[in-house]
This record gives sequence, C-alpha cells and structure tokens, in this order.
Amino acid sequence: MTNDQSDKTFHPNRRGFLGVAAATGAASLAPGVLIGTAGLAEASEPAPSQSVDASASTIAAKLPSPVPGYLSFGPDEAGFVEVMVNVMCPADALTPGGVDCGLAAYIDRQLAGGFGKGARLYMRGPWREGKPELGYQLPLTPEQFFKAGLAAADAACRKRNGKAFSELDEGGADRFLHEIADGKVTDERVQLASWFNELVYPLFEQACFADPVYGGNVGKVFWKAIGYPGLPAVHSQDMVDFRGKPFPGAADPKSIADFA
Amino acid sequence: MATRLKHRTVVFVGGGFTAALAARQLTAKGVDVVVLERGIDRTHTAATSLPSQRDELRWDVHGDLFQDWSVQTYTLRHNDGETALPIRRLQAFKPGEGMGGAANHWNGQTWRWSESDPVLRTQLENRYGKKAIPAEMAIQDWGVTYAEMESYHDQFEKLFGIAGKAGNLRGKVQEGGNPFEAPRQNEFPQKPLPITEAGVIFSEATKKLGYKPFPLPAANSPEAYTNPDGMQLGQCQFCGHCERFICEANAKASPEVLLYPMLRNRKSFELRLQTHVLDILYDRKAKRVTGVRYIDRVTGEEYEQPADVVVLSSFTMSNTKFLLMAGIGTPYNPRTGHGMVGKNFCHQTMSGTRVFFKDRWINPFLASGASQTVIDEFNGDNFDHSGLGFFGGGYIYANVTNGRPITSRAVPPGTPKWGSTWKKANADWYAHNFTISAHGSWYPHRENYVDLDPTYVDAYGQPLLRMTFDVRENERKMSVYLSKKIDEIAKATGADIAPPTAPRKGPYDSQVYQTTHVTGGTIMGNDPGTSVVSPHLQHWDAENLFVVGASVYPFNAGYNPTGPLGALALRLGDDLNDYVACPRHL
Repeated sequence: MTNDQSDKTFHPNRRGFLGVAAATGAASLAPGVLIGTAGLAEASEPAPSQSVDASASTIAAKLPSPVPGYLSFGPDEAGFVEVMVNVMCPADALTPGGVDCGLAAYIDRQLAGGFGKGARLYMRGPWREGKPELGYQLPLTPEQFFKAGLAAADAACRKRNGKAFSELDEGGADRFLHEIADGKVTDERVQLASWFNELVYPLFEQACFADPVYGGNVGKVFWKAIGYPGLPAVHSQDMVDFRGKPFPGAADPKSIADFA
Repeated sequence: MATRLKHRTVVFVGGGFTAALAARQLTAKGVDVVVLERGIDRTHTAATSLPSQRDELRWDVHGDLFQDWSVQTYTLRHNDGETALPIRRLQAFKPGEGMGGAANHWNGQTWRWSESDPVLRTQLENRYGKKAIPAEMAIQDWGVTYAEMESYHDQFEKLFGIAGKAGNLRGKVQEGGNPFEAPRQNEFPQKPLPITEAGVIFSEATKKLGYKPFPLPAANSPEAYTNPDGMQLGQCQFCGHCERFICEANAKASPEVLLYPMLRNRKSFELRLQTHVLDILYDRKAKRVTGVRYIDRVTGEEYEQPADVVVLSSFTMSNTKFLLMAGIGTPYNPRTGHGMVGKNFCHQTMSGTRVFFKDRWINPFLASGASQTVIDEFNGDNFDHSGLGFFGGGYIYANVTNGRPITSRAVPPGTPKWGSTWKKANADWYAHNFTISAHGSWYPHRENYVDLDPTYVDAYGQPLLRMTFDVRENERKMSVYLSKKIDEIAKATGADIAPPTAPRKGPYDSQVYQTTHVTGGTIMGNDPGTSVVSPHLQHWDAENLFVVGASVYPFNAGYNPTGPLGALALRLGDDLNDYVACPRHL
C-alpha cells in the first residue's frame, strides 16, 4: 500500500473527507490519518457518495466525531482497517459507515491497550499448534497477531486481485473479507480464517456494541439501532410495567459518559 | 526463605463462598480464623459502582473479575494419548479472584439438588439394577443424605434470602413450585421474582405439553431483605448485569455483601488479602498438615503460616492442585483405576436454541441473573431411563439473564455476519428473541480427570493443572435427548423462527462458555478407598486437613452447584467447631 494512491481509495462514507482533503491539499495524509471527519463535514459540503443515503447522512450529521488519530496503526494498517470497517458497516438507514461510527478508532485503541499487549493472556511457551478447541496458541500478543494477519491478508489480496486491499472497490473488498472468513485465502505462516474469525471479527462486534467510552459505537448509534437502552438500567418497576411491551427508554439510550 | 508467622487455629486457603460460610460458624464460637485470599476487596471500586459497573466490555468480555490467565491457567487434552496445551484464554468456565471468589459474579440460581442425588448410585442400582451402570461411569454416593443436610439448606436459604416457591413442603406437593423438589421443612424466605415475558411464553408452552413450570429459585432479592445475621440485601434492579458482574445494588446475595463485611467485624476473624498460597505443608509421617506457605502479592515476600487446621476452600481446580502438589493422597491413574486425587472431574452439559418472535417484546435487558422459568421433568432421575442408554438429565428453562449487546445479541441463522442486512437483522430481532436451554448433568467417566502438567508452569513456577477431558457417550446421548425436548417446547411457543437445538458434542471446547460449575477432583465418600475426603470433608490421609467446594462432588448434577455447597460449607463450619474442641477423625 502506498499513500499516493489515496485519491482512488474506497471510502464510502468518510463524509466530506476527500473533498476537504483535495481542497486543502491534504491528500497525502490519506489513508491512515483520520481527522475528525464529522467536524470537517460541518465545514464543507458532504462529498456525494452513492452508498450514503439521505437518512444515513441525517444520522451521521448528528453524531459526535470519532476520536481522531491512531495509537497503534501505521498509515497502511489504518488504510486497511478503515476500508474493512466501512465495508462491514456500510452507511445505511441505521448507521453511518464504520469509520464514522468509530469502529477503526475502537480497534486501534484496543490493540494499543491492555488487550492488545496480551493482558490476562497466558504467554509462556513452549508453543505448539493445537486443536481449535484449545484456543489461541501463538506466541504473539493480540496486537502483533492483528498486524501479522493484516500484512498477510494484504499480500494475499495483491496476489489474488492485483492490488492492495484498500484499493479494492466496495464489492471486491466485501468479497475478499468473506473469502478470508471462509478459509479460502491462505498464507504460509498465518492462519487467516482464524485471524479474522477469532480476532478481527470479535473486535468489530465489540466496536459496534461496546460502550462509546471505548471509541466505537459513536453517539450510541448501534444501541439506538437495536433498541438497547444502556444505563443506568434500574428496571425494578420497568420489568413489570413493560413486560411484553416496547420499552420507551430504548429510543434514547444512555452510556457511561452520560453519568460521568 | 519464608518468614514464619505466629501459629493460628484454622487457616482457610481461598476467601470465597465456602470459606466465608464455614468461618461464620467458627467465629460465632470465637474460634481463631485466618482466611488467605489472592485477590482484593472490590467494595467501593469500579466493579461495584455506577456507571462503571455496567461496562460489558470490561467485566464480561475482558473478564476483569476472573482468574488472570497470564498468572495461572490450565492445560487441556482430550485423551491420554495427546499432549496437553495451555488454554491461553479460558472461556469454558470462569473462576473468580478476590474476596468472595466466583460467588460474586454468579447469577444466583440456587437449587437444592434432588433427594436422590446424594445417594445416586444406590438410587440407580435400585431402580435399574446393578449391571445398568457402565463400568466407566464412576458415580458414587456422597456418604451424607439430603435429610442430614436439610436444616443447613434451610439456614443457607435464609442467610442468602433466596426467592422461590416451595414445591414440596414436608412431603406435600405445592402448586406453583417444583413438583420434583426434595421435601423442605420451610417455604423459601422470599417470594419468587416477577416473571419475564420469556417466562410467560415458556410457561404457556410447557403447560400445553403437560409440564409444570415454576420460577427458578433465585439469590436476586425481589425486595429489601435482612437476613438472620442482620445483613441486608437491596432490591433487585433487573439491570441485566448479574453473572460476570458484582451487583452494585447489593441485591445479589454474595459473600462480599452478606458474609465478609460481618466476619471482618468479628474479633477472631482475619482476612489477609493479596496472598497467593503456594503450598500446603504436609508431615507425611505424622499424617498431618502443619500450615501453608504463601507469597504476599504486595511485597513479593514469602511467609509460612502454621496452623492447627488447614481448610482448602479455593476453586475446584486449585483444591485438587494443592493436594497433588503436596503429595497428600495418591494421584488418580486412569489406566489402573488406582489413586483418588483428580478423579471424577466433571463439567455441565449445556445445549439450547433461540426462539424468535416478530410480534412479541422479550426486552431481554429487563432481567436478572436468575429471573428464569423452568421445568424439572427431565432432570436427574425424575424420568425413567430404561432403554435410553444414558443416565442423568437437566432442567429446561427460558434462559434470559440480560440483553447485553456484545455477547447476548442474536440474529436468526443464515443472517450474513456483517453489512446492512446484518445490521437490519440485529435491529429487527434484538428485542424479540430468547434462549431455551437445558442445564444438564455431567457424570464422571474413568478417562476424565485432572493431574499436574509435566511441561507448563504458572507465574510462580509451579505446574499448571492438566485436564484430560472430553464429552463422553453418556453426556452426548443425554444431550440429544434433552435437545429434542427443547425443540418440542420451542415449537409449542409458536415462535416465528425456532432453529433445531444442536446437542452437545465433543471434542470438549475450552473456548465456549458452558457454566462455571466444574466439579470433582477431591471427591467425598464413605470409603477411603474410593474418596479423598470423608462425608465430613475431612481428608482421609491428614486428619487436620479439610476440603470444601464443588471439588468434593462425586459427580455433577443437572442443577447449579451452589445450594448444596452452601449447606456443606455451613455443616463443615459446625464440624470444625467440633473438631477444634476435640481433634479426631470425625
């Protein structure tokens, strides 16, 4: 991956970013240096994008910006992850695209923090390949494994598709991710299906549904989408009053920050 | 070199549920007690305060209350011929760490086991004949009967304010309770929790099929409650943060709410936190233990704590490991059948399906850990096993404990794993589905056991405990049977989508949570030749060593283990008072 191809890179819903980048001559920063795109969007007209429908734009405009900047990712890694989360979470009537939901920011911070560094993970050798039922058996921290898998996936993508993952169009990127998940993409040293299904995918789900304090689920957008009311969850009376009925609190969830 | 401390009367290894209950009996009589606990006291910390208590990522996904696997884990192999590897992040069960142990992050499902469970071998031999029990199924009687334990059950239920409806009062079956319940002298101390929408649907379906649903006995307090010790529980908030969390409302009966704060005000009680016990000190010649050696996790210094009596009150796994490390008793050998320590290791046989309803609001977030509705027709020996090819069973229940969106959210089978269709399916179904599960027994198999791993060590350089363990034929057959019953109930709910239940199969998977109910390893019984501890939980090879915990269960029933554990721990406390006054084989 190289940065100079950024203007061809698929970014389905980085609202206004490409437009602003072009206007300010900041194209060399993209991909990989994520600026608070919602803030930028306010300052300029959103770039037209076929995959952003009107309702998604409306939701997006109301959301806070994801936390800007990365702690763990380098520019190429960020480019891969941004495309990936935008494919896995396309802008639609329920949420904006993955980057604007903070999904890339979430994954970056998890990898930079205790989880990524191997907290609570037994890390002593000897290391041997084991049956799947024994779980993870590599000498890498989750952060190292994430990056090893990402590099292997990108190399496999170039071999298969003749270009880097971040250069694929939306359909191509989606197809490639499915091929990885289904074990159809292989690498000599990294088991890519296990990498994706056991590390990347859980991080993606957490990014969507964890408390926004961790950087994903910006503006509680996923909680709103499914109707999870969040905090404070003091429901002694609710559980009787709303048994079998829609729960009004689900429309306006609260998170940790609302009680901080 | 360890610093030798002042001699104490009773030292407990592990400051969880059982230690607190036994210490309650001892310190009530003024007996000197010290409890060594490797973790901290989490009262007034992020774990027990709003808003941080409601953090699913921290407490559930990352498991901040659980044993730290970087310090100590277990190895696993499925049979003797394989090389065991360490489970680097265990998911199948969740031992705790800290004052109160795993009983702080429990759901609160509180059963008395069946009247026939403590005499299971006798029961099955009487009903099906001696030859009916396969040779590899090492079930045995406990050596103590339900009748002997009843008053302790009663005492425990009052201490923990259990909410439920009696099904059998002094032999008389009660409407609305569990008709298979062992006879109880008294009604539950609290009325049942209110029913959930899932419970309503489950009740209708199971009644249609001729079963008798009832509210699962719960340690989630429906109202403010004061127990006989004057300790208080708050009212359950149905917040959906019960299992894997500590209740910030003090509404989940737990040792850190009801027991330790009281014990710490008693003169003869001492709790020493952040102390990791390394060894039990055993005088083989005298067949006595002399104390324990531990490391202070704050200073890193080693200490020797001499004591008259040592009680192993740690998690199932550690109780067994301490005995193996100290060479007290003989390690179990599956080839010869000799040795007892590590034998009869069991877990839980779980299976279940999700039922999806377009037009019914399940609202899974309006739930507590034990606000469940259940049937007991297919548990234990409540049904005829003639010709079925297996023993055991489980309760079947509407299993809603929470709506936490990372781990409890579900979409119908066939939904793509990401993309707009996936998102829409989450939005459509999140509030409209629940699980119907079977919580099944696990009977011992000759080839399922634990011993010390020859290769892998913990952070203190000690061997990890090794599980040689798989889902054997008895449990697989039972799971097929229970799964069919689940499917019949699921169909009777009229759900729009009710995928068939996948029965439990091998190989045993360390990466899928089942329950935290692992049992065995230091089993109890009447015969020193077939047990590690006596029915009074006294070690056969060291008179002043006692072991308490689910490690003493000779098998695991289809019920949650906490009820009999509470009863056994209180009874042990009384036995210890007796022993301290007059040391002997009880």
